[in-house]
Amino acid sequence: MNDTAAPAFRPRVLVTKIGLDGHDRGSRIVAAACRDAGMEVIYTPPWQSIPAVVKLALEEDVDVIGISSLATDHLVVPKLMAALGDAGLGDVRVVVGGIVPENEERALVASGVRAVFHPGSTLDEITTRIRDYAGETRRARTGGEGAR
Amino acid sequence: MTARTTVDELGERALAGDRGALARLLTLIDDDAPGARAAAARIAGHAGRAWVVGVTGVPGSGKSTLVDALLGAWLAEGHTVAVVAIDPSSPVSGGAVLGDRIRMGANAADERVFIRSFSARGELGGLSRAARAAVDCFDACGFDRIVVETVGTGQSETAIVSLADTRVVVCPPGLGDEVQAIKAGTLEIADVLAVSKGDLPLAAQTARELRDMLLLKPRAAGEWRPQAIVVCALDGSGLDDLRTAMTAHRDAVGVGRRSNVGPGTSVARAMPPPSDNDGWRDRIAALVARDALCTTLGIAARGGGPGSAEVAMTVDRRHLNFNGVCHGGAIFALADSAFGLAANSHGPVASGIDAHITFQTAVAAGDTLVARAIEVQRSRRIGVYRIDVVRADIGGEMPVSSFTGTVYIRD
Amino acid sequence: MNAPADRSVAAASAHERWQREYREGVGDEREIANVSGIPVAPLYTAADRPPGRDAALGHPGQPDYTRGIYATMHRGRTWTQRQLVGLGTPADYNARLLALLERGATAVSLIPCNSVYRGLDADSVDLELLGTCGTVVNDAEHMARCLDGVDVARISCAMNDPSPFTLLAFMLVAAERRGIDWKQITGTSNQSDYLSHFVANHMFYRLALPGARRVLIDHIAWCRAHVPRWNPMSVVGQHMQQAGATPAEAMAFTLSTAVQNAEDCIARGMDPDEFLPRFTFFFDISMSFFEEIAKFRAGRRIWARLARERLGAKDERAWRFKFHAQTSGVDLTRQQPLNNIARVAAQAMAGIFGGLQSLHTDAYDEAYATPSEAGARIAIATQNILREEARLTDVIDPLGGSYYVESLTDAMEEKIVAIMTTVDDAGGMYKAVESGLVQRTIGASAMRFQQRVESGEQVVVGVNKYRADDDAEHRPPVERPDRDAMQRLRDAFVAAKARRPAAAVAGALDGLTRAAESKDGNLFAAVVDAARAGCSNEEICTRLRRDLGFGHPLVIV
Repeated sequence: MNDTAAPAFRPRVLVTKIGLDGHDRGSRIVAAACRDAGMEVIYTPPWQSIPAVVKLALEEDVDVIGISSLATDHLVVPKLMAALGDAGLGDVRVVVGGIVPENEERALVASGVRAVFHPGSTLDEITTRIRDYAGETRRARTGGEGAR
Repeated sequence: MTARTTVDELGERALAGDRGALARLLTLIDDDAPGARAAAARIAGHAGRAWVVGVTGVPGSGKSTLVDALLGAWLAEGHTVAVVAIDPSSPVSGGAVLGDRIRMGANAADERVFIRSFSARGELGGLSRAARAAVDCFDACGFDRIVVETVGTGQSETAIVSLADTRVVVCPPGLGDEVQAIKAGTLEIADVLAVSKGDLPLAAQTARELRDMLLLKPRAAGEWRPQAIVVCALDGSGLDDLRTAMTAHRDAVGVGRRSNVGPGTSVARAMPPPSDNDGWRDRIAALVARDALCTTLGIAARGGGPGSAEVAMTVDRRHLNFNGVCHGGAIFALADSAFGLAANSHGPVASGIDAHITFQTAVAAGDTLVARAIEVQRSRRIGVYRIDVVRADIGGEMPVSSFTGTVYIRD
Repeated sequence: MNAPADRSVAAASAHERWQREYREGVGDEREIANVSGIPVAPLYTAADRPPGRDAALGHPGQPDYTRGIYATMHRGRTWTQRQLVGLGTPADYNARLLALLERGATAVSLIPCNSVYRGLDADSVDLELLGTCGTVVNDAEHMARCLDGVDVARISCAMNDPSPFTLLAFMLVAAERRGIDWKQITGTSNQSDYLSHFVANHMFYRLALPGARRVLIDHIAWCRAHVPRWNPMSVVGQHMQQAGATPAEAMAFTLSTAVQNAEDCIARGMDPDEFLPRFTFFFDISMSFFEEIAKFRAGRRIWARLARERLGAKDERAWRFKFHAQTSGVDLTRQQPLNNIARVAAQAMAGIFGGLQSLHTDAYDEAYATPSEAGARIAIATQNILREEARLTDVIDPLGGSYYVESLTDAMEEKIVAIMTTVDDAGGMYKAVESGLVQRTIGASAMRFQQRVESGEQVVVGVNKYRADDDAEHRPPVERPDRDAMQRLRDAFVAAKARRPAAAVAGALDGLTRAAESKDGNLFAAVVDAARAGCSNEEICTRLRRDLGFGHPLVIV
């Protein structure tokens, strides 16, 4: 509430699931943890289409997209990365959390995913890194300004 | 390239139809980045054509479903619609979960729709400063319908009074105490009351009760008479009637009158116009700093607005009574602090002359209590406030105490 | 000091001596509580038991059923070995199923592809996602292929088939075409619990609450008349416990759901003595060994009382708490995956001691993949080892009378009943779910558990303690279904759809609408008719969603 100091940086994070899986215990806990860490979280139910996610990311000017994938949803993440690029949202950092076999993790990173969180990652670790990535996004967009 | 240039550039691109630029600009305004306020003010100059509809209702009232139905109807008529959805922020962390837009499924995907979610960022009264600016930006960028969706706790939402042209309050059917409170509060601000879940048997009765309460209020000649309409989202019944009522209101009072609460343009209200957007913030901070009892008991201010305030206190050993639970007097002091801050947030000194409290749940050491005060009514000399005290638990908030207070306002 | 005169005084001083020595040995310790929040002491003795209480425990097969619902329990008939199978094309499923049956599995289970749960056919979904987590079954022909060579009249089936039970409809139609009498078919609609889907496993969420409620009661009524040996109702606690509910919460909410569904059936005019014997339950078994045993024993006792006193059933068969249990997947770890074999063995033991009627043991690789052949084999072997090498079933309810287990059973019963009372206060389970009360409770428990794991209070071997350098050795690359095979399946399906008589298909779908619009039409009968006319899963689900509503499950963060 201090108007003269640098503006507060509240990361805007989208937590969502694309693909077909419906298990959302993990994504709900991560969304709650991000809120408790002071972030603004847009939380969606599962089964979001890629165009819907891209539109949301654009309108809400999100800094980080967190995809929860407990089954095979991560297999369509490369399509999401391509769609984000086409929409001019290539700077938005995307992370994937859940169950990702090693051989498929490499493909995700190659498509531009910033990080993959495996089971056993603590909430503290996840929220700290999401905050860092949000800072990266802001700096990439404003060429160094706007992120404190 | 300075920050100012970047912000101006975004503003120009937004006005030219670049949605991404508009979204980025809204973030900069929300974060109060250098140059953002000036850019917002410049853009506001292009505003004034949109019909701004405020929709408020307690969680579970069916508000988001109703907004979705309105979206559908307007899109079918060829309008472009922006939705500003505001959710409360956590008093503990300052963060928020913004979950309104997910209810607008199919309509959210339409190219003519733009949905933007905001956290209240500590402001009570239902609106954030940035959300107000967002309404102007959307207006300026050509959206002809703008919905401002806020969570109403059942008491008056002073900020939305001044922001929206037409205010719709969504009221769930029911006869319980919370619904009575909703009814008492909503009558102050609603232009149209939508009783949701119209398929339930209680809906018709709730609408009747609301109409009866509306009849009791004296109105000046030519003054808008609020209507209560039963709506069912499942089959769409009542939606046309609701839209007719909303349109009638708009035609009666016009659009583009945001922040102009003058005579003849709206229902004469007992409340003064909200004070300057940020003056309340400094006033509340200064008052708390001077309050010896707040310091002694560890009561901290969390947020507020014109006519509202939120304070918190973590119960420890010194707050306990002889039974080892939190002393009722400590809870009273917390609620009373919120009361005093809300009543004094406008500027003139207000002194409490009457207060009542009820206790619902025992409170133990280690619990964090939050008290929120809302202005129910205010005239030149008298103000009435309602304060809810809750315990912040992991899974949600547990009601602890209800407090009402009256103040006498000195010049 | 004089020698103590009587036994109780002697016992008291023996206890004091133990307490003293214990404290000296252990020092200052924190109180331990189990996952449901019940404190657990280091020792239980006869003094912890109310006098005569355990002597009054009923025998197995008799009220209060604490010790088991049948006189013989596993000595008479061992539990059903129902292993979940689901992957790829119907042909792939059929091959895996036949192999399992040969190795001793005694029942059929099918996990359909996630696309089937979503109500989408193979031609509506990204090819990458088809068949990765379950079998693609979109119509009666696919189902017939799945069950090739399986005598459906002799083997019990469970299709993991949520409302509106299209997979069962496909199976019945396939059976009919083979000349099998429906009256011989046995099995369970093991995902018929629409409330649990709304609350906790959104994967199975298909229809809005009011529509799903009606479809369920129609389904129960129709099955009674046409497939009388089928169990149309499986009340599911597993989803809620996997979503974070404590064992007591899972049992309480499940019993409350059973009461709600039973009351809905009674309101429809059905006789509890007729439908209750076909109510079954489906639970999770977590790592909290004794807590799970006590949970099941308490559940049996409470259900018998509810069935008799609250629901008015007079037939003893209606009082019996029959349940299938699955070892908990969320307890398994990706790190050091072979450890999961030990975990599953412990969970299975708890279920066996808890008196289950049917068991699924997870494969060790289930934490990060659909189970491999090896994993599935070890899962079945685990059950065989426990039963035939460790001989756990030689004695019925072997832990009965244990001071600890009986004390814990009583404590769990009390806790479960208290939670059920909060549901009653909210107006019953349907209202409690509609308002979000149940979801909030479960969400809070899930967060608490996560915090206990992160603080180290709850140990997870290999994750927050006893870590080793991560060995990907036992996590071979996950195999995905053959894309070409999926493409061929999809193409064949599209071609088959085109060959159907269009009028029959449209007529059958309109039959769904007519049933939905009329107050008396039986929706499940209309689904079976649609299956017979060759309608696909997507066509049926889409039409019913249109007519009955779809919406979102309530989202509470």
